[in-house]
Amino acid sequence: MELAVQLIVYGILMGLVFSLIALGLSLIFGVMNIVNFAHGEFMMVGMYIAYLLSTFLPLDPLLSLPFAAGAGYLLGVVSYRLLIHHILRGPMVAQLFGTFGLMLFLRYLAMYIFTPDVRSVKQGILVGKTLSMGWINVDASKVFSAGVCVLAFAAVYWMIYRTKLGRALRATSIDSEAAKYMGIDTKGMNALAWGIGGATVALAGALLAHFYYVTPTVGMLFTLIAFATVALGGFGSIVGAFIAGVLIGLIMVVSGQFVSELKFSFIYIVYFLVVVFRPRGLFGW
Amino acid sequence: MRIKKLGVLSFVVILSLLIFLPNLSFAQKEVKIGVILPLSGPLAPIGKSLKDGAELGADIVNTKYPGIGISIAEWEGIPGLGGAKIKLIFADSRGDPAWGAEQAKRLIEDEKVVGLLGAYQSSVTKTASVEAERAGIPFVNPDSTSPELSKRGFKWFWRVTPHETWFTRDLFDFLDGLVAGKAPGVKAVSKSELEPLAVAAENTEWGAASLTEIEKFAKERGWKIAEGFKYAHKATDLTSEARKLTASKAPTYLFASYVADAILFVKAMKEMKATPRLIWGQNAGFIAPDFWKTLGGDVNGIVSRDVFAAVLGKVKPEADRINKIYKERSGFDFDGSSARDFIGVQVWAHALDKAKSTDPKALQKALNELHIPGKELIMPWKGVKFGSPFPGDTNQNELGSGIIIQYQGYPDGKPEIVFPFEMATSKLIYPFPGWK
Repeated sequence: MELAVQLIVYGILMGLVFSLIALGLSLIFGVMNIVNFAHGEFMMVGMYIAYLLSTFLPLDPLLSLPFAAGAGYLLGVVSYRLLIHHILRGPMVAQLFGTFGLMLFLRYLAMYIFTPDVRSVKQGILVGKTLSMGWINVDASKVFSAGVCVLAFAAVYWMIYRTKLGRALRATSIDSEAAKYMGIDTKGMNALAWGIGGATVALAGALLAHFYYVTPTVGMLFTLIAFATVALGGFGSIVGAFIAGVLIGLIMVVSGQFVSELKFSFIYIVYFLVVVFRPRGLFGW
Repeated sequence: MRIKKLGVLSFVVILSLLIFLPNLSFAQKEVKIGVILPLSGPLAPIGKSLKDGAELGADIVNTKYPGIGISIAEWEGIPGLGGAKIKLIFADSRGDPAWGAEQAKRLIEDEKVVGLLGAYQSSVTKTASVEAERAGIPFVNPDSTSPELSKRGFKWFWRVTPHETWFTRDLFDFLDGLVAGKAPGVKAVSKSELEPLAVAAENTEWGAASLTEIEKFAKERGWKIAEGFKYAHKATDLTSEARKLTASKAPTYLFASYVADAILFVKAMKEMKATPRLIWGQNAGFIAPDFWKTLGGDVNGIVSRDVFAAVLGKVKPEADRINKIYKERSGFDFDGSSARDFIGVQVWAHALDKAKSTDPKALQKALNELHIPGKELIMPWKGVKFGSPFPGDTNQNELGSGIIIQYQGYPDGKPEIVFPFEMATSKLIYPFPGWK
């Protein structure tokens, strides 16, 4: 019982962060049918913003969250305007290589600026604090991060399903051509999707930096999991990304407990099964 | 006409210079040693420090440094070869076994090196030394620790550093010593206080081999293991693995992890308010500068096996003097890896001096019979002498040893030596003080 409760709590807390990381990837794919390989690098940028602000200003890393989200939004929009917008005219392969190139560019730019050293956020109200609740000791920043993830999801959900802007975004996602004829600025919508994608993942990065180390290649580890999450939840589905992230967190923690050597295999087995038996994912259309 | 003649003349002069220049350099007498290191890619920072260590070694052999206290510092070139200077030719392995072998071949065939040194990663050393074996050229390996390397029966391969089997034996000597009350500043600890052990090892070749070695020695020395598992390295999260350790109720945690995982483990254990009595790391992640820079005061009390620590200067003044020169040049203290590459060049210098020739056969004989006493070395070793210290070993240095360090007084502290007990530079902090 104690074991079960601990695993569920750890799994959900970690899973919610995976969800937020996957949200942007899912959104960008849903709107534009393009896979953003640089997604993990956007997250890495968010992590460095939290690290830099908390180390050099020094600002509490909690206060770096809006800066990280803002920078992520800008990074997303600029990437779209300067790169993605142009390669959309090319074949599918050009789009793949384009975002792949963006990933390499950002990763090695960070390597150049920050060196490959591993760093971490050392000071902050929540950093290194542990909450004790009965059987469980859990990092306070993980609990806080999980809360922010839920709020961010709610905000994005509300924006997309309850506002006019969101309706335009959804229209672009369902049929870009038709949306254009209806007078929707589809290019603007695309940029918006990239902006939200960048903002959410950079926010996730700044949250993660509270309890995870920061290094230029850190995005790589999370990108693969984000792909699995998006495939499991369904490409383009917000609710899907949310639930799939939590499921992946649970799978990871439970398999880590019993067969830690193979824990990533289980995630990819689930990914594989979904691709074979339900290619549109749990909530995809 | 005159100009044409002048042109022809200068052409002849340049041509003859080009032809005779190699001979001119030969007149200065140089001995070329090829050094294969990972100079680009993710291991480049380590490769750079290894290169600095080897270069300092060559410089100390080639130039007189009075007052250091070891014989090569008194030399000006190799005495047995009439003062010939050591010239190191560096080649970048890129951390890739196939490319490393290619470089070994190039150094032997094109650069005509007398011998090789390198190559840090066991996997690269493995392939590069095959080329040396094939060509009948000596390969001196100062820095790779996979036990298998010295178990291949090679006749042209000599390993200076102790290997993993050794380091694991050190761990159990340390544990048994704690029980016997030999650790400085700690009264005899009852075995039940430290038993059972819990082991977490990453799942690549190195971690897997470490786990096997630990299990083997635990059985031999009669230590119970409650939990021993491999985990997927480069993890996004190690909460469940840390939970497994705490749930095992074992008082002693042993780790074989690279730096990113080592950091996550310590953070997760702190989060779970784990209360082990001893935390030991198998080198690698646990001695990386990123480890203590990232974790700061949270590393205090953790012990790790190592081969060198700057604090060694307290008990070995010659190590201190050489470390000072190294630090002036590179900006860093020697670490276990760069200090070992320094010794690699030293081994080459002594072997060349003894052989009094650069003929491979003579060098082979000299290396086989080489004996460098411990007082000549910057390492806490009894010396360098090649033999078979563990079953199956050939040309493995018998007189090496490891040390165990403990982090004390961080974030501003230094790693202190706590094993071998007679070399300890500080009292052991026991039990592990826990995290604030």
